[in-house]
Amino acid sequence: MDSNNDEALDIIVTNVVATFRTRCHLNLRKIALEGTNVIYKPEVGKVLMKLRKPKITASIWSSGKIICTGATSEEEAKLGARRLARCLQKLGFKVRFSAFRVVNVLAVCSMPFAVHLVDFTKNNRPIASYEPELHPAATYRIKNLKATVQVFSTGSLTVTGMLLSHDHTHTHLPSLPSFIYS
Amino acid sequence: MSSRVCKHCGSSDIDVDQARGDAVCMGCGSVLEDNIIVSEVEFVETGGGGSLAVGQFVSSEGGLKNPTFGDGHFSGMGSESRAQTLQRAKQHINTLGHQLQMNQHCLDTAFNFYKMALNKSLTRGRKSDHIMAACIYLVCRTEGTPHMLLDLSDILQVNVYVLGKTFIALAKELCINAPAIDPCLYIPRFTQMLEFGEKSREVSMTALRLVQRMKRDWMHTGRRPSGLCGAALLVAARLHDFCRTTKEIVNVVKVCESTLRKRLTEFEDTPTSQLTIEEFMRVDLDGECDPPCFTAGLRKKKDQQLKLELQKKIGDFEDEIQEFKDEIDAELESCRPKLRGVYAAYTKKDVFSDDDSSSSSKEEPNEGDELHAVAKHFGRELEELTLEALIKLEGGELEEENQEENVPKRKGPSLASILGRMSSSSSLGLSETFSHSVGDDVENDGTADSGELDLSGIDDSEINLYLLSDKEVQIKTALWMAENADYLKAQKEKEAKIQKEKELGIYKEKKPRRPSKKHAAIRASTADEAIEKMLEQKKISTKINYDVLKDLVVKPGSSPAGVGESPKMEPPAPRTPACTRRPAPTRTPLSLSKPLNTLGKRLQPFISRQPKKKLAVEQTEAPPPPAATAEAPPSAVVVESGPVLYDDVDEEEDEEEETCVSAMELLGGDGYGCDGDYDDGY
Repeated sequence: MDSNNDEALDIIVTNVVATFRTRCHLNLRKIALEGTNVIYKPEVGKVLMKLRKPKITASIWSSGKIICTGATSEEEAKLGARRLARCLQKLGFKVRFSAFRVVNVLAVCSMPFAVHLVDFTKNNRPIASYEPELHPAATYRIKNLKATVQVFSTGSLTVTGMLLSHDHTHTHLPSLPSFIYS
Repeated sequence: MSSRVCKHCGSSDIDVDQARGDAVCMGCGSVLEDNIIVSEVEFVETGGGGSLAVGQFVSSEGGLKNPTFGDGHFSGMGSESRAQTLQRAKQHINTLGHQLQMNQHCLDTAFNFYKMALNKSLTRGRKSDHIMAACIYLVCRTEGTPHMLLDLSDILQVNVYVLGKTFIALAKELCINAPAIDPCLYIPRFTQMLEFGEKSREVSMTALRLVQRMKRDWMHTGRRPSGLCGAALLVAARLHDFCRTTKEIVNVVKVCESTLRKRLTEFEDTPTSQLTIEEFMRVDLDGECDPPCFTAGLRKKKDQQLKLELQKKIGDFEDEIQEFKDEIDAELESCRPKLRGVYAAYTKKDVFSDDDSSSSSKEEPNEGDELHAVAKHFGRELEELTLEALIKLEGGELEEENQEENVPKRKGPSLASILGRMSSSSSLGLSETFSHSVGDDVENDGTADSGELDLSGIDDSEINLYLLSDKEVQIKTALWMAENADYLKAQKEKEAKIQKEKELGIYKEKKPRRPSKKHAAIRASTADEAIEKMLEQKKISTKINYDVLKDLVVKPGSSPAGVGESPKMEPPAPRTPACTRRPAPTRTPLSLSKPLNTLGKRLQPFISRQPKKKLAVEQTEAPPPPAATAEAPPSAVVVESGPVLYDDVDEEEDEEEETCVSAMELLGGDGYGCDGDYDDGY
């Protein structure tokens, strides 16, 4: 493991999950029958609608709550959500766009070196946990940021749980090297 | 103990007679103890002739609560249930452990873990099986026994990841650091299962060395240890002339064949694989390898870079090819007979088989494949495939196609429509249909949480693409109904059932369970205020007529109450010095003439509290009670009583028994005329 802090570690946000509410009851059957790119799951009670641009999958419930996943940035998520609401409006529902909130942001990052997971876990005992039988990565939970970092032996990391994508880049970068080299 | 020294004469010569149960002082002859309680075990005879010891087991942790004698069946024996849980857990853990052939020491440790988990209430919300399995696995890890989580999940028939979750949660809460699994631990176990006979020792030694080598070559991070062991054992077996097939190894090690193969190839890539057997046993290479995924990742990166370069070069060629394509298309157009009407839409169709498919355009090979498949389906050569031929073969009418849609849903899509769609998407290029949507700006306005939908940056025409036209809706409806027929049937039956039940009147509507309302903490300056507020919030008993009580509070200094006070004073007054806590339980505003001790126990605490409240109110608003002296004792009574201990029912019961005076009598006879049932004619 060579310590090469000079190179900038680029963290790429791969997924942003957001929710919003339409403040009106939605008839799922109508949406399912009149929309394109929809999957209706009556057993669960939701409709999956996929938008092409931005590439977003939305789960729509009849209560009017909608979850959007698959966006690459917060702005994209918001745009996609608004598009979706507009689409529902056209179908005839009195849609209002409210309570838009980003719930989860996922980012990946790659280290130029490999990580020895067993030693890493030993050094970071209560915070990190590694179960090779269950998952190939070691999970490291940062409590004050409420984020979870999964460290793979190849050196790639996935960060989940932070609510703002710029949190990832700013807070994550300095903290990473510190706990890996410890 | 008084049997040591006599109270009267002070002599310490005390004769204790067990037979009579007496303790008598030899000096003065006074009987100090009578009916001595002996702590001996008694036996009774059972039906079959055997003897049973009399008594019950009390758990050591049961002393937390005050022992309840008469009303134990009301409160429910909490301590006993804990003992039962522990007993059951112990049994289960032992059963599981014996199936895994674990020794008793480990099982006891597992039971201790379970007790810890129980104390921290980690067992709530989790299946007891899972918790026990997690405890056992925790012991396995700390002791280093070669048991896998997979074995446990095999026995319990539970998903291994679910068990793993429970295990991790348990280990975290109990702050137990389970040491990481070492694949070397599993080798002896698997060797035994593979039955190598006399040479097992050597085989396991070889396998161990292999695994250690793998560890140094970074093959073991992030992998299941059993997979590594399997690969090592396979090689070791072959080295010692045992032909163990991959199938046998897979059965023992419980990994997939492809995993084994992968591990073997990875090992092959390491320089150690180049050594001969003897060299391997002797020499240990110093160099370490990178983990295989890492090298694979690097390789991928290189490949991608190569691809990019190639792409650039190809891009240059593409332009040339495009020119040729256009020329050929134009030629074909002129040759082909013109279609009219419905089929005009298909004039754009090209038979791409003419073009050279050597270009790297990605859509081409896909289309070529599909055309081939179509041709095969009709048993014709690809060259013969033209749109007209297809139409003839289909023999059916083609539906009108809406060219605007990109991926519309169709009823039993006809081949022509598929191909037609293909042509539209590929000849126009997907990019084209998106070209007008690309024009949208990615706007991000300020948050408009007022509920208004901010339409900036949203192109309506593109949104329209997402909606189907009426005809399409009909088609889709038909499709959907056909597909979900079962589900719809089930729903209808459910509705019918509910209707029937409603008619019969036995339909119970399932209300969503509302979370239990948590009362806000009551803030009051005096105990009476607190009781008032509490009563407002919570109804204690269904047997009490609250309206009457409310009347009592409102009516200021009514004569029965006033009169009732004076006779009340005598009984409580002498008692106040004796007992500090005196809620004067016999006073009751209820019109019940029944003696209190015959009322339900639950009423007693309530009843006892009521008079205090009444008193307080009356004192504030009522005219002074007839006896001025009555003021002091009631206030003294009220003050001295202090906060009412709601839980302590025993003392009240005792008092009831002492006085055994009816409430009506104390209150002055005249009932409030509420419940005629209770009128005992006092």
